[in-house]
Amino acid sequence: MTLARLLLALAAAAFIAFTAAAQATPEDSLPYFQSPGFNVPRLQNWEEQSSGENAQFYLAAASATIRTALVSATEAPAAVEAALAAGGFPQPFDAPLYSGKVNLADGTWTNIVYAIDQERTASAMARRAGDRFVVISFVEEDPAARTVMLTLPRADEETASAAPEISAALAQFADAELAADAALETVPLPSGSWSAYRGADAQALGMVFGNDSYVALQTGTLGELAPLADAYNRTLLGFFITPDNSAFLALGLATVFLILGTLLLSFWWRARGIRQDFALLQALEREDG
Amino acid sequence: MASTENAQLAAGLLQARPQPRLLRLLTVLTALGFAGTLALALFAAGTDIQQGEIQRIFYIHMPSFFGAFTAFGLTVLGGALYLARRETKWDHMALAGAEVGLAFALINLLTGAIWARPIWNTWWTWDPRLTSAAVMCLTYAAYLLLRAGIEDEERKRSFLAVYGIFAFVTVLITLFIIRIVPETIHPVIIGASPQNAQGSFEATSGVVLALLPSMLLWLTVMPITLMWHRARLERRMDRLNQLKMRVLDD
Repeated sequence: MTLARLLLALAAAAFIAFTAAAQATPEDSLPYFQSPGFNVPRLQNWEEQSSGENAQFYLAAASATIRTALVSATEAPAAVEAALAAGGFPQPFDAPLYSGKVNLADGTWTNIVYAIDQERTASAMARRAGDRFVVISFVEEDPAARTVMLTLPRADEETASAAPEISAALAQFADAELAADAALETVPLPSGSWSAYRGADAQALGMVFGNDSYVALQTGTLGELAPLADAYNRTLLGFFITPDNSAFLALGLATVFLILGTLLLSFWWRARGIRQDFALLQALEREDG
Repeated sequence: MASTENAQLAAGLLQARPQPRLLRLLTVLTALGFAGTLALALFAAGTDIQQGEIQRIFYIHMPSFFGAFTAFGLTVLGGALYLARRETKWDHMALAGAEVGLAFALINLLTGAIWARPIWNTWWTWDPRLTSAAVMCLTYAAYLLLRAGIEDEERKRSFLAVYGIFAFVTVLITLFIIRIVPETIHPVIIGASPQNAQGSFEATSGVVLALLPSMLLWLTVMPITLMWHRARLERRMDRLNQLKMRVLDD
């Protein structure tokens, strides 16, 4: 009875503690698009157009699409073209406006910018994921402006802001340069603290992240750049692939069974030894008797 | 006369007392509960999108520690009652707690190492929680080694009763160290994780749904059932030794 009471008391205490813990913790409504291949944050205020393994978000006000897709390809440029074609942007494209590689925490990415046609520009980041490529693309379809998203290795790691990379982007896409003494405004966004440049024909936002800088550049009729830069970089920074480590789970479970099995086997073995010893002692008694 | 007593003792031991109904019930509950909670962890709980499948080991890793806590706690109780009353049944309880608790603590330690390999990229690190858990295992392994090493029964039982009470300090240190040492990277699931914790996840309703039955099983039914079986075994072992001594005396 004492044991039964102890058992009940422990069970009740555990139940109360964990029920309380369950009530104190948040609900599991992760704002993530999840697929077997990858996970990306869902973009609030963007219309979700995801299907199957591909995540796609559309912002009508800026005619912009952010798409994350897994495609089969042998090279990054072919992967980007395949991903854009699957997203409804027909090939062939002209030579890329920009192409470069950058090392991020999860691998080497290729950054490519294509002019799809006079009105549409696609910026994409691609990296190998197993036997496929993951492509995160930003496509804007505003006929009055061109918006590109770049990820550039930091030119000067002693400079705290992304000014050198903004200057390089301006030179590449706006045929302009950032004056050495240009004052950049700091713009706090959910994705981080950005440095902002605004000129007459071009505007840019840049954010330093580790050894690289993310730059969003807009030329032509200037509009709201910050929501686009923020959304694309939240996608880039929030992207991750769920690791396949089921072999470790199997190893862990095998360990549990091995330890519990050894414990139970030792109980049985010792009980068997006791039975045998008693039988032997009984036989000895009979012989003596 | 002695021969008759021996024969009676041997006959009684050969026909081992049937298991109490409660123990049989607990044994069935343990088997079904283990299968059920494993099924919950593997099939009902969602996959952690950041950690992957290995996160499911948590549904055994954490409950096994609390199972060890119960078993080692009963070793303290058994030791204290033995010192107070000098009845061998309390010594048997203390021994059963140490043995079952060590098995659970090893499950906790090894499943933690297996989880750490893909999440921390290492099997082992000298983190305060991991170190204290290893010390706890070694302390109770030493308990069992000492038990085998001391011949005088009365001396052995008294010494190990005291040892078992003091050994529980390692359990308490292991339990609380991540709440008091900020340098740990071991995550805390209930409450805020330390600043440097790596591999944290939130105890969402799905996690708790799979964890709660597992905790109840490992904290209560499982250690008590296994300990009860072990204590019965030890009692029979004691009686066998008594019989051997009598036969030798004859």
